[in-house]
Amino acid sequence: MNFVGRRVPLVDGAAKAAGRLTFVADMQGTESLHGALVFSPHAHARIVTVDAAEALALDGVLGVHWHANTPANHYNSSIWHIDQEALADERMFPEIARHIGDRVAAIVAETEEIARHAAALVRVEYEALAPVLTPSAALRRIGPATGAEGEPTFDNPVAEERFAFGDPEGGFAAASMIVEVDVSTPRSHHCAIETHACRAAPQPDGRILVSTPCQSVFAVQAVVAQALGVPADRFRVVKTPIGGSFGGKAEPILEPLCAHFAMVYGRPVSLRFNRSETFVSTRTRSSVTATMTLGLRRDGRITARQTDIVVDIGAYSTGGNYLPGSMLQRLVRLYDVPAELYRGRAVYTNTPPTGAFRGYGSPQIHTVAEIALDIAAGRLGIDPVRIRARNLVAPGAIEPRGGLDLGNARARDCLQRGADAFGWTARRAIGQGTGRWRKGVGVACATHINGCYPAEDEETTATLHLLADGRVQLILALHDLGCGADTTIAQIAAESLGVEPAAIDIVAADTDTCPYDLGTRASRMTYICGEAVRKASSALADRIRNDAVLDLNAAAGDLVLSSASVWRGDGASLALSDLAARLVRRGVDLPSATRTHRATANPGSYAAHFAAVEVDTWTGSVRVCDYVAAHDVGRAVNPMLVEGQIHGGIQIGIGYALYEDVAIDPRDGRMRGDSFSRYVLANAPEMPPMRVLLVEEGEPTGPYGAKAVGEIATIPVAAAVVNAVNHALGTELATLPLSQERILEALARRDIPAAAE
Amino acid sequence: MPSTLSLTVNGRSVSAPAEPGERLSRFLRERLGLTGLKEGCCEGECGACTVLLDGEPVNSCLVLALQAEGCEVVTVEGLSGDGLGDLQAMFIERGAVQCGYCTPGMLVAAEGLLRNNPEPTDAETRSALAGNICRCTGFQTIIDAVVATAAARGQAGDAA
Ligand code: FES
Ligand code: FES
Repeated sequence: MNFVGRRVPLVDGAAKAAGRLTFVADMQGTESLHGALVFSPHAHARIVTVDAAEALALDGVLGVHWHANTPANHYNSSIWHIDQEALADERMFPEIARHIGDRVAAIVAETEEIARHAAALVRVEYEALAPVLTPSAALRRIGPATGAEGEPTFDNPVAEERFAFGDPEGGFAAASMIVEVDVSTPRSHHCAIETHACRAAPQPDGRILVSTPCQSVFAVQAVVAQALGVPADRFRVVKTPIGGSFGGKAEPILEPLCAHFAMVYGRPVSLRFNRSETFVSTRTRSSVTATMTLGLRRDGRITARQTDIVVDIGAYSTGGNYLPGSMLQRLVRLYDVPAELYRGRAVYTNTPPTGAFRGYGSPQIHTVAEIALDIAAGRLGIDPVRIRARNLVAPGAIEPRGGLDLGNARARDCLQRGADAFGWTARRAIGQGTGRWRKGVGVACATHINGCYPAEDEETTATLHLLADGRVQLILALHDLGCGADTTIAQIAAESLGVEPAAIDIVAADTDTCPYDLGTRASRMTYICGEAVRKASSALADRIRNDAVLDLNAAAGDLVLSSASVWRGDGASLALSDLAARLVRRGVDLPSATRTHRATANPGSYAAHFAAVEVDTWTGSVRVCDYVAAHDVGRAVNPMLVEGQIHGGIQIGIGYALYEDVAIDPRDGRMRGDSFSRYVLANAPEMPPMRVLLVEEGEPTGPYGAKAVGEIATIPVAAAVVNAVNHALGTELATLPLSQERILEALARRDIPAAAE
Repeated sequence: MPSTLSLTVNGRSVSAPAEPGERLSRFLRERLGLTGLKEGCCEGECGACTVLLDGEPVNSCLVLALQAEGCEVVTVEGLSGDGLGDLQAMFIERGAVQCGYCTPGMLVAAEGLLRNNPEPTDAETRSALAGNICRCTGFQTIIDAVVATAAARGQAGDAA
């Protein structure tokens, strides 16, 4: 392998490090108009009237937009193709605000400063409605709640998923111990450093060009078209560089508004959320409350499992109706559980909407399951690594829900190799100590999917062209979210073509020039798009060899591509740029190849994470002091980028365990954690040293054996940290995040003596 | 009324109008077109907008442009000469850049650290960068890149 497996630096690294990459907020131009939004201060209220007289009187203000003067088309921001059936409960500006931070109106003005100033002058008359602020309140109000005029607003539950497998009753009867654990996870936020932003500009042909940092240009096009009630082909959507997403930019939020304003005014329009707007008016990760019941034999073998989980999806459906099913799908791929009962319900509340966030249900369900399993292990007196080893799936296992083959599932290797590297047995045996600082170690496992098969038609098409200068152009709607997917894909293309990854030109995803692709979601980039590129590049390599036969006077089968040249066995060679020039002179088309890859498998990626913590019994603060992450990635196309994904996933996961919570007040629905001063992240001083182990046993269906890593990187983290804290304190804490207050409360409750110094 | 602000930016003297309430970050981005400088919060909490102000790292979103009168400002654009600077190159080599949105501020904050403390330890580097949020990398490669740059500069200094 020349390029696969190598630590190739980012193909766009220099532009990023020099500050030369143009993000959407950097697209300046004095001709652009700007918008600023007015947000609901009420969790549930009818918007009676909007009085913008004062705002409109300001110099430079062009107009005000609200439900009375914008298209009333309902849409669902999570759809990914045109005409997709989905619960369409959102509109650009609703008549009834459903959460604090819901969009009420917008001002369009010559500058952002004027627009924001004017937006603050808009007066809105509201008629307050009774809000539903917690999932338990939502469950008490099953069936449609109604607005003031009897029109339905909410209909709870939004979705319910039930599943039974094997003989749960028999399984529980055969158990030597039954352990029931309640776990709840918080609402968390993506916190991409680039806030949400978008730009829309009328084109000479009358269409609107939407430039946006998104995860699927086709999803943006579909949502914009539906929201505006305008045919999709009136919009061209181009992906801009993206300053982090993690799922937060998967759903179009500003794009419909921006496109609409550009059409109304016939001028380019830029919209940019500030940080607190990004917190309250985009998407969050749904919170869950769950009860998991495990039946176990004395040796730790699970005999049956029952899960009852309630997902708070917030004010709009988005894709929240899928979550109970997604969680189940992920849950059943990790352990070989002979009998399963599952009920998952998604409920609306009058709180900010939720959506994708690195794992789409996986972080929640695995956090629940891994904390529950650890508590069960503790009660049984079994080592947490042992209990996992006893139950993990083996390669080739079939999951019980869809009957899918889990592929070369190397969960056990992750657990074993991670435990060895961490020094688990010795470290677990060391006592917690009796002083102010208590030490503990924890483990958690996780699995995640590779793409959308079989729920979606999981296929994509890659086209590669040899260019006249010997470079190669790749056309595929790729959406690198900043983690280096373009580099990984370029390495895959470079491998067959014998050119440097930097010689692969990747065009930005563009609805005009790229064939349809589902976009960056469901951990499908490397596994799905990468395989399409592998096939297309190997086809292009064949074409190039054929085209070089004449000039090198050798059979195509005897030619080798390397160092941007075609080589004959005796060392004679022809540079690709020279070959291209000769073909052009001869009037022969430059070689290109198109291949469609359609997935017929969805193997599991696996991981086992190990955390060491110290808990300060005086202050309740937790320090994560060491971390090992072992990942079954099939094969790392770029180990440096794989490690980068895992490192970043650990940062998000430590926050999920210990700090991160948008903290919606159950009394009024207000988000308390709506800024970086009140929404705490693990920063450089809080991060432990991290060691990453890659298990590379190859997945036969992946490109060069590769599987996904992007989402799974964060999935086991929170449970590993929480389990370590519980080990340190001898507690069974299961309400996240483990804030200092929660830990101090638990210490007070359990009466653990805080040592005197 | 805008006043005219004169200062040195990345080694060049510049004068441009600035409003009394205008933030330095906006002045640099919009009046001078230095869009390498990023804004992630405009509240002094993320560090994306870090610049060196007379050699000290500051959040330029918290500084009024007019306060920088006569000062020397360095942004990410000032870290490269003909090619990338050594710290930038090390960031790329070590995988300390992912999405690149925190990167300009992170690089400037790290450069400020290295100018004040040419041999920072891992812990000193972490605390010096505590005000710079990165959501992608988990910080480890960033810390490694800063410490490795310090070592390389030290060796180059010894050799000289
Ligand atoms: S933009 Fe200045 S600190 Fe965040
Ligand atoms: S590289 Fe994305 S925020 Fe740091």
